[in-house]
Formats: sequence, structure tokens, C-alpha cells
Amino acid sequence: MNNQQPLASVDIPKISLQRAAPVLWLRRWGTLFGFMVLIFVFSLLRPTTFLTFRNWGNIIEQVATLAIVSAMVTIVMVTGDFDLSVGTLASLAGVVAADLMANRGWPVLPACLTALTVGALGGLINGVLVAYGGLSAFVATLATMTAYGGIALLYTNGATIFANIPESFRWLGQESLGVIPVSVIIMALVVFIAWLLMEQTVFGRQLYAIGGNSQASYLAGIPVQRLRLIAFMLSGLGAALAGIILTSRLFSAHPQAGNPFMLNAAAAVFLGATAFREGEPHVLGTLLGVLIMGVLGNGMNILGINSYIQSILTGVIIIFAVLLSSLSRRKSTQP
Amino acid sequence: MEVKEIVKQYPGVLAVNRASLALLPGEVHALVGENGAGKSTLIKIMAGVVRPDSGSLFLNGERMELHSGLDAYRYGLSFIHQELNLIPYLNGAENIFLGRPYPTNRFGMVHWKMLFQRAKQILGELGADTPVDVPVCRLPRGGQAMISIARAFAGEAQIFVMDEPTASLSDEEIRHLFQVIRQLKSRGKTILYVSHRLNEIFEISDRVTVMRDGSVIGTFAIQEVNQTDLIRNMIGRELNKSIPLSHSNPGEIILEVRNLRGGIVQGVSFDVREGEIVALAGLVGAGRSEVLHMLFGAIQPEQGEMRLYGRRFQPRNPADAICAGIALVPEERRTQGLVLNRAIHENISLPFLRAFTSGTFLLNTASETAAAQSVSRQVNLKAASLKQKAAQLSGGNQQKVVFARWLLRRPRLLLLDEPTRGVDIGARFEIYRIIRELAAAGMGVVLVSSDLSEVLGLADRIIVLREGRQMTEINASEVSQEMVLHYCYGEQL
Repeated sequence: MNNQQPLASVDIPKISLQRAAPVLWLRRWGTLFGFMVLIFVFSLLRPTTFLTFRNWGNIIEQVATLAIVSAMVTIVMVTGDFDLSVGTLASLAGVVAADLMANRGWPVLPACLTALTVGALGGLINGVLVAYGGLSAFVATLATMTAYGGIALLYTNGATIFANIPESFRWLGQESLGVIPVSVIIMALVVFIAWLLMEQTVFGRQLYAIGGNSQASYLAGIPVQRLRLIAFMLSGLGAALAGIILTSRLFSAHPQAGNPFMLNAAAAVFLGATAFREGEPHVLGTLLGVLIMGVLGNGMNILGINSYIQSILTGVIIIFAVLLSSLSRRKSTQP
Repeated sequence: MEVKEIVKQYPGVLAVNRASLALLPGEVHALVGENGAGKSTLIKIMAGVVRPDSGSLFLNGERMELHSGLDAYRYGLSFIHQELNLIPYLNGAENIFLGRPYPTNRFGMVHWKMLFQRAKQILGELGADTPVDVPVCRLPRGGQAMISIARAFAGEAQIFVMDEPTASLSDEEIRHLFQVIRQLKSRGKTILYVSHRLNEIFEISDRVTVMRDGSVIGTFAIQEVNQTDLIRNMIGRELNKSIPLSHSNPGEIILEVRNLRGGIVQGVSFDVREGEIVALAGLVGAGRSEVLHMLFGAIQPEQGEMRLYGRRFQPRNPADAICAGIALVPEERRTQGLVLNRAIHENISLPFLRAFTSGTFLLNTASETAAAQSVSRQVNLKAASLKQKAAQLSGGNQQKVVFARWLLRRPRLLLLDEPTRGVDIGARFEIYRIIRELAAAGMGVVLVSSDLSEVLGLADRIIVLREGRQMTEINASEVSQEMVLHYCYGEQL
């Protein structure tokens, strides 16, 4: 009986693989390919400055904080949620750390730990609103984004904190261990931990399952609400860490310094999602997305492109990349 | 209107097989059949939502070209579905005039007064006085049904297709609906009335068409038939003989359910013993799935008691139930059972991921894959590789993945909700074999199924629910399909 039943399950993947080979290739490697093209173009145009060790060191140091935020935001986005509050939360954590050190005489470590706690708390509030309060992630974090930004401004009265920050605080964002900047080491650690969590642990597998089908995950015994909450806390923690490192690098805390993280992180995750697994967010993809953003910014700076035009070009390139990958996906799923 | 020789094939199922049906002007024509007999597909074809593989539809002798729902509307067909297609936050008048120009005043603005007046007038012609100025979500279901009918009426529909219109109405509202139907009939409109409730059909319809397994069995004038004839035609004569015979040998009591209440469920009590298959029979909406979800912790009962091996059992969520050794194969495998965009092995290991770790938290993919391999062999899963996405499997194999998942840890109690719905015939018998084997190994099984031959073939005992109430508990060896159906429809033999 079994042999007489033609089973679609066996036939379908073969057919689509054959028919859609170039499309599949584009989907699988298109983003990486685009990254290579970008590097190639900049190298051709500015051979002496772009492809140098020093410039690449610069790029990586530049994107370290964005990579930290983006890696953690990826975790939230894997569950199908979104976190708009990371930017203002990073700003808030930055000013809290700076204020405690500069104005209240706290040592560096407790000040940083307190700022991290602020980030985790911000994430906790997001998580409670979304996972237990039933608000949509977009609405909830839009509200908390505004509120956290307001708290940061209120806390500093809108001013930048730069006086009396202890010199030892420079270590995080400005110094190196050997040749590698401390911030880059932290970035590598955060990205590695995020990757390990998402790809190699029960936790990550469960988050991907929730993102794929939260109802089925719930009926398979997964504590959906708790995990979504934890994902938001991790995202808040990442934002706070990035905010602290940014404060150290600038050696001052502006109440809106971290705000651009939100849009840039979202762009990096979307770009990265085009590189992996049918458009699901993926930590390594996000890292690629961050690098693309960094190389783009750096290359355009070297070419002396007006920064307003840079913004326009960045937007166009993101639309192009996501559109291309969604087009190839749509084609490949059509029988 | 005439429906001629319609054929519609879905993968693995012949949904409608050369079905023909004629609707006369000014008649109420009932369409009956078991769940899955092809009624819904036929209606969707008439609505232009589904395209038939062959066959055609005629209106007043002219062939109809139906490419979309809009086409059907242009031909004067109007559909009143179980889920009324109203916009909840708009008021009754706006809903009635939806898609038609609203009356405007001389500034080109909506002339609200006239809109309400006209809406009231339309409802008045139907003999209804439903308020038209409140959002329809605040109306009772009966009122919403009236608005829905008024909309069809205002659109000058000639043919009204009503799919289970009384499913959620009170007796009072049903009486009112019937008055409206008679009103429509007296104006020469045609009504195709689909319902599971046979007593309604005898009350309201002129002729009745019976469908079974995709085919039209026959059309009868209502005076020529009685309930028993209808039921016999609906289920046919042949019992499914291919289900392996039951030879269960029940052990000790696993589960005791006493007076379970909550939502639609109004007091359900039964026991399940080791090795026993207990079926919950009843019509769609009788509260069967709700009982399973209460046992599984996915719905909290308002009242009643559950005991598992004599101990009080109150699962707060599915995780609790799984811990206690309960497994659920849910009704909708695509939305409730599987994470379609993930690999098969990931879907299998999902509830028991913690068992496949090395160290404290790192996943051990090797042991996970090995375990998944082993259980997929037990259920005879056919897939090119376990790394395939669950979405790429056929319905039957998807269902086997859900079964395989629970075999990782032999549960003590297995809850099955429509385990063979949408499953092709070959895989269906393999699933029966699996259920039998599990029961024979001492597992208790609670089966919800709308397929009566499945219920009678598999179950040791049958509990019939109707509108959330437990009608009876019967021994499967002592009953016929007709008897079970009679209980489902709430009729006495």
C-alpha cells in the first residue's frame, strides 16, 4: 500500500531545487555577494585608503556598539517581536552610568552594573507589556521608547554630562588589549554568546519555534510568555551595554546619543535576515548586516559623499537588498 | 439556479464528485451531510471562491462565469456564513450599505438620517427591528444575523445561501430568523439552507438534498422523508471494515473527569482506563475540543474535577499536562501542531528538548536526531530527510510527525483531536494502527472525531456531547452509526 501512494513529500524539494537553482543561490549567498561587491567597488575607487589594515580596524571599532545592540535585538526579532526602545534605552543607560560616576562619585564598576540593570529593567517592562499584557510589540516598545527617551532627558535636564568622568572609564571604549580594542573584544564576546544561545541551546531552539508558530509551541509545553519576556530583557541588556561603551568612547553622555541605534539595528537585522534561512533573523546574519552598514558608511566617507546623500543611499541599498531576497523567496515557493 | 456535474479534487481527497443540484424560485432548499461530505466545498464553488475542476453552474438557463466572490454577487447570489462577514465597529446601517453608495446630502457628505431611515426600512420589510445605529459588535448574534440578511436583501439578491445560520443563535432568535426566511420565500427568493440541525430542516425547508463523500445522494421533497431516512442517506450503509478490530483489555483507571464545566462545556464526566480508547462524539461546536484542551491545561475549567491516577490534577498550562504524562494531537496541525518553517527533527523534539542536552544547556543534536529517527520509524514517516521543513510534508506525514513527537516519552494519556482530518486514506490506516498499538501497550486514549466510522471502529466507549452537554455514554460494541448520530442531533430513535 505504501509504495502505491505517490508521496508529495519526497518529490517537491527535488523539483524546486532543480528549477530554482540560481534563485536559491541568490537567496543563500546574495547578501554576502553584495557585501563583496561593495568592498570591491570601494577598493577600486580608493585603493590606497580603503583596503588597509588600519581602515578595517576603524570600521570594526566603529560598528562594535551597533553589533552589540543588533545581536541582542535579533533575539527579540527571532520570536517575531520587535524592540523599538533599544535606542533610547542605550541613551538612558549611558547617562545613568555617566551621572553616577561624574556627579555622585560612584566607582566605575558599580556605576556600569547599575546602568546595565536599568537596561534589563527597561527590557523587563517591555516584556511584561508584550508577553503578559498582550500589547503588540510595536505599540508597546513605541510607547516605552518615547518614555525612556523622556526619562533620559529629564535625568540630565537635556544637558550633556562630560565633566568629572573618571579617567579609568576610558578603558571600555578607547583602550586596547594588545592590538585589539576592548570594545571589539566585548562585541566578539556578545555576538558569540548570542550565537551560542540562539543556535546551540534549548532556549534558542524554543525561541525559533515561538517565532515560527507560537500557538503550536505553547501546545508543545514551551513557556511562551516567559521566553518572550527574557528575550526583551536580553535586548534591553544589550542596549545598555552598547550605551555604556558609547559613553566611554565619546567620554561624555548625551541623553540622545544612543537613539540612532534603533533604526540602524533594525536595518542590520533585516539585512542579515536576507542572508540566512529563508529570511529568519540570525545572529551571524545580523553581524554581516552590521558590517555592511559599517563598510557602506566608511566607504562613502572616504569617497567624501555628503552625509545627507549617504543616508539616502543607505536607505536605497537596504530596500534593494530586502526586496531582492523577498522576490527570490516568493519565486522559489511558487510551484 | 442549477449546479451540474461539479467535480473538485483536492490532494488526496475527492471533495466533490459530480454533484448536481437544482434550486427552484421561491423554495427553501436544505443541504445536509456529515462533516466533510463536501457541502462547504460546493458552497465555496457557488460563491466563486473555489474553482471546480469540471462542471458548471447555470442561472435561469445561462451559464455562469464565476471567477471571484464579486461575480457571484453580481449574479444575485448572497452568502450568509456562520461567521457573519460584518465589520464589527461599523453600525448596522453602514454594514447594510457596505459596498453600495451611501445616500449623500447636498454637500456630498453622508446623509446619516437617510441612511438610518433606509436601513430601518429594509429591516422592516423583513419584519425585524434590529437597531441600526450601534456598532454591530454590540448586537447579539441574532441581531448580527439580521443585519447580514438585510445586507443581502438590500443588494437585491435572488438566492440566499445560509451556512449553519443558527449555529450560535438562541431559540428566540432562531424563531425570528425562520419568520424572515418565510418572508423572503413569499417574495420569490430562493434559499439554500445548510444545517446540521435536522429538526430545523423539517420545519423550514421544502426540499432537501443529501450529500455523502462528495456525491449528491439524492434530493427529496420534505414530506417524502423522515429523519431516519435522512440519517441513513447521510452515512450510507457500509461501515469502514478496514479498521483493525478492537480487543482491548482495560487496566486501572488513569483519568477521572467529574462535572467539567467552562465556556461551552456544561458538565462532562467520564473515566479513561489504561489501554482504553474513549471517543467524544458530537457535532462541530459541541464542546469536544474544549474538553481536550481543559485536560491539557490549555483552557482552565470553571468548575469540576480531574483526577490522574487518583490524584487531583489541575494543569495550569500544557507544560504541566505534558509533565504529568499527557499528550495532545491538536485539531489543526498546521496552526496548532507544527512549526511549519522548521525542520522535522526540530518539530519532533520540541516538547522534550531538555532531554537532548549535553552539559547543562547546550543542545546535543546527535542524540536529538537519533531519537527523532527512531520515533519516525515507529510511525513509518516518509520524508527524504529529517532536515526537511515540516511544511514540505503531505498532510498524513505531518500528522505522523505530531504523533512521533509524543512517542519520545510514552505518555500515559493521549488526547487526539480529529487525528485523521485531511489525511489521505493510506496514512489514515497507519495512524489507526499507531493508535491501536499505543492503546494495546497500556496508554489511555481520548479521541475526538467527526468521522463516525472512525469513532465506532476505534473506540471502546463513546461519550456523546451536544451543545456542551453530555448526552450519553455508550459501549461501542452495542451501537450503530445511526444511534450515535441520533444522539448527536438530539433526537430519540
